[in-house]
Amino acid sequence: MDFRVHSFFESHFVQFYQEEKKGDSVMKCSNMLAAVLSAACLLTGCASGPADDKIQIEIVSYKPEAAKVFEEIQDLFNETHDDIQLTINSPNEAMTILKTRFVREDYPDIVAIGGDINYSGFLDAGLFWNLEGQPVLDKVRDGYRQIDKQLEFVPLEGEYAIPYAANAAGILYNRKLFRENGWQTPETWVEFMDLCETIQEDGFQPLYAGYKDTWTTLAPWNALAVELADPDICQQVNRQEATFAEAYDLTAERIREMLPYIQPNPSAYGYSDAATAFANEEAAMWAIGSYAIPQIRSVNPEMEIGAFVMPGADSAEERWLNSGIDLQFCVMADSPEKEAAMEVIDFLCQDEVMDLYLADQGGISCLKGDFAVPEELGDMKEFIESGKVRDFHDHYYPSEMAVDALIQTYLLDTSADAKEKFLKKFDTEWQRYNRDLIRRLQEENQ
Amino acid sequence: MKRKMTPRERTYVKILLPILVLFFLFNTLPMIQGFIYSFTNYKGYGSYDWVGLRNYMDLFTDQRVWNSYFFTFKYAICGTILVNVIALALAIGLNAKIRFKSALRGIYFIPNILGGLIIGYIFSFLFTYILPAVGEYFQISWLQNSILSSPDTAWIGVLIVGVWQAVAMTTIIYISGLQTVPEDVYEASRIDGAGKWTEFRKVTLPLIIPLVSTNLLLTTKNFMMVFDQIMSLTKGGPAQSTESISYLIYRNGLDGGQFGFQSANAVFFFVVIVALSVIQLRSMSSKEEQL
Repeated sequence: MDFRVHSFFESHFVQFYQEEKKGDSVMKCSNMLAAVLSAACLLTGCASGPADDKIQIEIVSYKPEAAKVFEEIQDLFNETHDDIQLTINSPNEAMTILKTRFVREDYPDIVAIGGDINYSGFLDAGLFWNLEGQPVLDKVRDGYRQIDKQLEFVPLEGEYAIPYAANAAGILYNRKLFRENGWQTPETWVEFMDLCETIQEDGFQPLYAGYKDTWTTLAPWNALAVELADPDICQQVNRQEATFAEAYDLTAERIREMLPYIQPNPSAYGYSDAATAFANEEAAMWAIGSYAIPQIRSVNPEMEIGAFVMPGADSAEERWLNSGIDLQFCVMADSPEKEAAMEVIDFLCQDEVMDLYLADQGGISCLKGDFAVPEELGDMKEFIESGKVRDFHDHYYPSEMAVDALIQTYLLDTSADAKEKFLKKFDTEWQRYNRDLIRRLQEENQ
Repeated sequence: MKRKMTPRERTYVKILLPILVLFFLFNTLPMIQGFIYSFTNYKGYGSYDWVGLRNYMDLFTDQRVWNSYFFTFKYAICGTILVNVIALALAIGLNAKIRFKSALRGIYFIPNILGGLIIGYIFSFLFTYILPAVGEYFQISWLQNSILSSPDTAWIGVLIVGVWQAVAMTTIIYISGLQTVPEDVYEASRIDGAGKWTEFRKVTLPLIIPLVSTNLLLTTKNFMMVFDQIMSLTKGGPAQSTESISYLIYRNGLDGGQFGFQSANAVFFFVVIVALSVIQLRSMSSKEEQL
């Protein structure tokens, strides 16, 4: 599209320029315009790509932090394959870029995205190709295939994604500080609050938060919600069988109880500020997911990081690990080269490639096999292996509702009825942003 | 009535035509498309249904949209006043016979050539770390918390950055205006015994009114469209207190799957901006003086 428009103008200008050769000043002017246009053409990159006849496969990954390892994987693939040229792009704010590209109907062949509401939305819009019957699906652990099924707005036939890596959220902690001060990792909410109190008395900052980046408020929120609310609460609400005011009451209460132990003014600091502070031992704990570990390591490579499951419930048995699909591959329904795309995916699902990815990014493999669970997540291992995992609640929240900003607003609100206001708003906004879906579900049930 | 165009006119038309086509393709056409999408529940991808005027009706009941209009107007009004007062004062200073005049003009112009995002990130660091450290050191309580972290004050932080950057261009326009005021008018006013203040109010200001109106129009428009500063300083937070209209349209329209609804918002915003510009132009043009 771009190319055609530009070349059209270019030829138009050449013609125009030739006609006007008599008029001297005009010639200069149109000459200049033509030059500007062709420069613009160069800048937007409308050259028609490499001339060889390799099949081009483009993956857009939504994880800029994995850009380096994906580049490595891309080169490895291209070295071993003569007929396919693989390009993996990992732009910043990839979701916005992807959606902007979708508006222009400019689709890559494969997208590497998370198992969240965006996946549900794209799937609902019919953008993905049905992978049912592909042998590579048998390599995936059943739990994560199930999570993907639950993400469908309206249950569909077939499978549309290959879960690749999962992450886990809870509390990251500084092992060295814990060892030196004799602090024990907590298993219940009471123990957790006591621990925070002890850490504070020992003269340390118990928790750090980067609530300026609103999405980080969702980390403690999700970890608490998987233990304190029903896993299918969003579907229940969509079916008008429950309200969030009731379901999230305790979650909302407990996320607030953490505030006194967080550094003053958490909304002044962003995610990277928090990572830096945690890495520099300014705080003993940080309520965030395993995905933050590479960022912390980039500041302090030597740090002894540990992680425990959010002790949000009243008894140790009621704990659930908050784990979801961090990265999965979907083939676009529009891709003209599905066979080649599947070949790329088969390559990505080889053990050696997965090892490469995990070594760089940490996280948990969604594929069956004897892959290492990162050492930092040692305390979570039994939960992963016994399958005591539940998906992030925000994977069901519509992103335009901005639940993260609602939580931030709630945490900044110091009035006495802040919780009631927040939960009431949660319910009304939910109805508003999901009304098309709710209407569709009602129609489907009739 | 029909007559042949002279070669000269033909040339002008040929210069204009491609620009017109470009303008239509990249400006008018997307606008028409957006207008059409504003009647759908299009998410930005996939299929969509026609929803009639629902999006427009929703605009008036959506608290978040209201808040963004309130913020944007508050920001634009304060910003326009501050920028024009500061810029006019600076311009008068820089137009006087002082030493290092050219160097100073250059320095004051620097904010304009820096990108909005870069300035935003630098100021964000300043607000988050440096000012609170200064406040801590000198025990100034209101400085100890980052101005960007409270929903009540964050907009002031954004305003400071916006004004700091916008003053540069506005000052240059005022300087060029002041230079057009001929020296003999001042001489005449001095002979009539006018003081500095009277001279400014009765001579300078009326003569540069066309520039004042241009500047008011430009700054209001620019401040209404505020985007980079929000993106780099607050991302609309805290508590959604600094969401400008453009930011909300971008955030929820492209990222949040509300393409249809935010298209309606954009159409409405367009109408508001046009209406404001017309009102401003009308009210200012009546005050212009000619020598």
